[in-house]
Amino acid sequence: MGKFVIRRLAQAVLVVIAATLLLFIGLFVLGDPFASTGDKTVPPETQQILRERFGMDKSLPMQYLTYLGNLFTGDLGIDFNQRRPVSEMIGDALPATARLALVAIVLDVLIGVVAGIIAAVWRYSFWDVLVTVLTTLAIGIPVFVIGIWLRQKVSGTWIFPGVPRPFTEVVPWYQEVLLPGITLAIVDAAFIARLMRGSMLEVLRADYIRTARAKGLGERSVIMKHAFRNSIIPVVTYIGISIGVLMGGALITETLFQYHGVGFLLITSIRQNNNPVIMPLVTFAVLIYVLLSMIVDILYAYLDPRIRLS
Amino acid sequence: MTTTPNPDLSMPAQAVLVEPADHHGDMQPEEVQSGKKPSRGQLADITRRYRRNKLAMVGLVVVTILVVLAVFEPLIVPYDPYDQNLVNALQQPSADHWFGTDVLGRDLYSGMLYGLRLALIVGICTMLGSMILGVVLGAWAGYRGRFADGMIMRITDIFLAFPFLIGAILVVRTFGSGLTQVIVALVILGWPTAARLMRGQILSLRESEYVEAARSIGASDTRIVSRHILPNAIQPVFIYSFTSIGVAVVAMASLAYLGVGVPSDTPEWGRLINQGIEQVQVSGKDYLWMFPSAAICITTLAFAFVADGLRDALDPKLR
Amino acid sequence: MSSAAEIDLEGPPAPLLEVRDLRVHFKTDYGVVKAVDGVSWHVNEGETLAIVGESGSGKSVSAMTILGLVPSPPATFPTGDVFLRGRSLLKMPEKQQRKLRGSQIAMIFQDPLTALNPVFKVGDQIAEMVRVHQDVTKGVARKRALDLLGEVGIPNPAVRLNQYPHEFSGGMRQRAMIAMALANDPHVLLADEPTTALDVTVQAQIMALLEKLQHERNTAIVLITHDLGVVASHADRINVMYAGKIVETGTADEIFYQPRHAYTFGLLSSLPRMDRSRQERLVPITGLPPSLANVPRGCAFHPRCAFASDLCVQDVPELRPVDGSAAASEHRAACVHSDRVAMAHDERVAQ
Repeated sequence: MGKFVIRRLAQAVLVVIAATLLLFIGLFVLGDPFASTGDKTVPPETQQILRERFGMDKSLPMQYLTYLGNLFTGDLGIDFNQRRPVSEMIGDALPATARLALVAIVLDVLIGVVAGIIAAVWRYSFWDVLVTVLTTLAIGIPVFVIGIWLRQKVSGTWIFPGVPRPFTEVVPWYQEVLLPGITLAIVDAAFIARLMRGSMLEVLRADYIRTARAKGLGERSVIMKHAFRNSIIPVVTYIGISIGVLMGGALITETLFQYHGVGFLLITSIRQNNNPVIMPLVTFAVLIYVLLSMIVDILYAYLDPRIRLS
Repeated sequence: MTTTPNPDLSMPAQAVLVEPADHHGDMQPEEVQSGKKPSRGQLADITRRYRRNKLAMVGLVVVTILVVLAVFEPLIVPYDPYDQNLVNALQQPSADHWFGTDVLGRDLYSGMLYGLRLALIVGICTMLGSMILGVVLGAWAGYRGRFADGMIMRITDIFLAFPFLIGAILVVRTFGSGLTQVIVALVILGWPTAARLMRGQILSLRESEYVEAARSIGASDTRIVSRHILPNAIQPVFIYSFTSIGVAVVAMASLAYLGVGVPSDTPEWGRLINQGIEQVQVSGKDYLWMFPSAAICITTLAFAFVADGLRDALDPKLR
Repeated sequence: MSSAAEIDLEGPPAPLLEVRDLRVHFKTDYGVVKAVDGVSWHVNEGETLAIVGESGSGKSVSAMTILGLVPSPPATFPTGDVFLRGRSLLKMPEKQQRKLRGSQIAMIFQDPLTALNPVFKVGDQIAEMVRVHQDVTKGVARKRALDLLGEVGIPNPAVRLNQYPHEFSGGMRQRAMIAMALANDPHVLLADEPTTALDVTVQAQIMALLEKLQHERNTAIVLITHDLGVVASHADRINVMYAGKIVETGTADEIFYQPRHAYTFGLLSSLPRMDRSRQERLVPITGLPPSLANVPRGCAFHPRCAFASDLCVQDVPELRPVDGSAAASEHRAACVHSDRVAMAHDERVAQ
């Protein structure tokens, strides 16, 4: 088991390094941030000054290494646009995304798991059909569209803050997080419900469930103890990956709902060609995703003893 | 954020295997199938099963209609989608303008038809690109094993580590705006999923019993791969290709919504939605964003139904 | 958990477990599948009854019905009942049935790898069996599990207690299943193909273990199998089933040395025997077992039967006492041509 963990760790590190390198090349080499873009014309002397200022006149490998070093020490530099410390900007946005991810995950796990179990245990019943239909719709209709309809029709009503709203309007976090959280949760809940249902159906057909019944266990024990423990495994791995994705910033949803999380920050920075912000954000997204994939793999091995020893 | 089905997490049911009868003493000798390409009879069976599935038929019909509309768009479009007519701005849907007009007086119906054409072009090209790339690399990784496999897996890991949209945006930004660039970006981010799917299939099929049997009678590697493994391995990829068209359409719309990818006056669905939403503040006209969002919905669902229908038709055991 | 109620004080003592005219029918898209079609048998303490038949003969379904493990829809029980010491099991409410499962009647299954839950430790699964039916602490249950593992001959039981099913070998897994089944000292043990998934040498060990445990505890064993070889030295009585019905029943000696049904004869002829001449050909039974939704008219075996005649197609033959059997014998066969079978068998033996 230990070897397995170490191997996965090494893989993860490799991937992160390669990804950031790719990112770095893409951003700084292929896209010169100081070149004139569209309407913004930057005079060449200013370009030179800016380059020196941000250390971009050094050789590329030097830049990359310096940057990596800075990343580790937490010195993310200053952004191009407003000259604010990047770490401060990210520090503001990150907790918001974390809250959003948390709300979304809690919602979709509760709804998804319960719906999946009900659909599987009462197969072919009204609930099963309902779950199947709803999940098909939730998965088929893009997050994008769901978000838009929620935003246009629901925001501004009841406890949901209106969108768009002026920058100065302050909304308590627990209200702000609702609509985007629900939007994100809908899709994931559908996936989880389907996954749970399928997994549970397959597990319920297994011989050991028959054995459990033959032992005289009540149906509730059979399902919630024996079946659940086996069928939850693929769902847990999916949830892990989902956390990774959500923490990287749900671009569309955050933009739709004017939610000032990491995704929103990223989009704005991309529009502004604001590399010092883009780089750490994307690196962070990559890092989190890779980290969580690794955790998920290890968790899978822990949950399924058959995998542990192979 | 688009949701791409992650084959690593898909249930075992995703692996469409044609296996000899299973071990629990059931005597069904007629169930043993080799990995040959579907024969005439099987093709008829598959079509019949597909036709029985109502949702799948609806999906097929809708997809056909969409494709026809897109192909003949230049001929059937009532107005030039770019044609501005400020006098006519913000008209409700009417006999003249079936879907109304936008803030610049452009006919929405024409715009949407053009957007459909764009969407399908992007969708199908992306699908072809990522499928071809994915299948070739995935098959190579799966069959060659060891070094090739490890290398390709690492590469897919790297690409998959980038959140889908973020990666697409960055690619487009690096290479500039334009339809081709969007397609390239989506292919770059989409092929790893196809490759993983293919590789997984090849890996499990490679060890299956009938391949062992074929080897034991001396069949060469190429023969094994082409006659026994490929026809089976390609099935889930084939099914996924339809879903991926829907995914690509949504991805493109998301990019356009965010202002990335195509020039902002292109009547691409995502762009239309963006503009439509802005308009709601000003004029309270809902239809400007409702129609394009419904269009995206219908397209994605239609392709998804077709994919589901194909999956059920190709292997009824999976119901 | 004693069967404190319902001991019938009048008449002859009821058999420990009795199946009476049981029918189990399934409604499917293909018609009514008659998995079990009018089956009666009984078993007493210390006895081993073997139920022999091919896949699809209804043998497993009868056993599962006893335990109430057959989900009802889609199954229906048009006639018949199952009695444990005179108490009707089919008419019992579910809660009571559950109390019997695992305590009075226990079952072991064919493939111990899939029959044990892969994510729980073996010791915990056995302990669970104990705690479902006995009000004891976890510690006591675990101790019992430990003892049981020792009883069934698993070496190093303290270590094995904390391992998972896939860490056991096939034979050991089956021993663990047996340990689990016996945890509450059941009166009846239903063994559904207990050795089919195992190697031949391990098969013998498991059967020996079952016999030893039976001796010690006086358990009744119902051994369900398709393998006559396994049955030969371990069964007291044998029921031969075909297409949902019992076609012949008798003691082991009677069945093996005096088969009176064409199907039994066919089964015996297709057994490879070490003690016969090597030139002798194996005579398999031609054809395939019928689909239980579409059982042939008259005697269900007639399409495959070497002795069949027109008589066989008309009516379903009833189980009748065999000609020439002793008065106390319960040897019965449902064959119109028992005499021909007897002759063919005698010929064969003479060779």
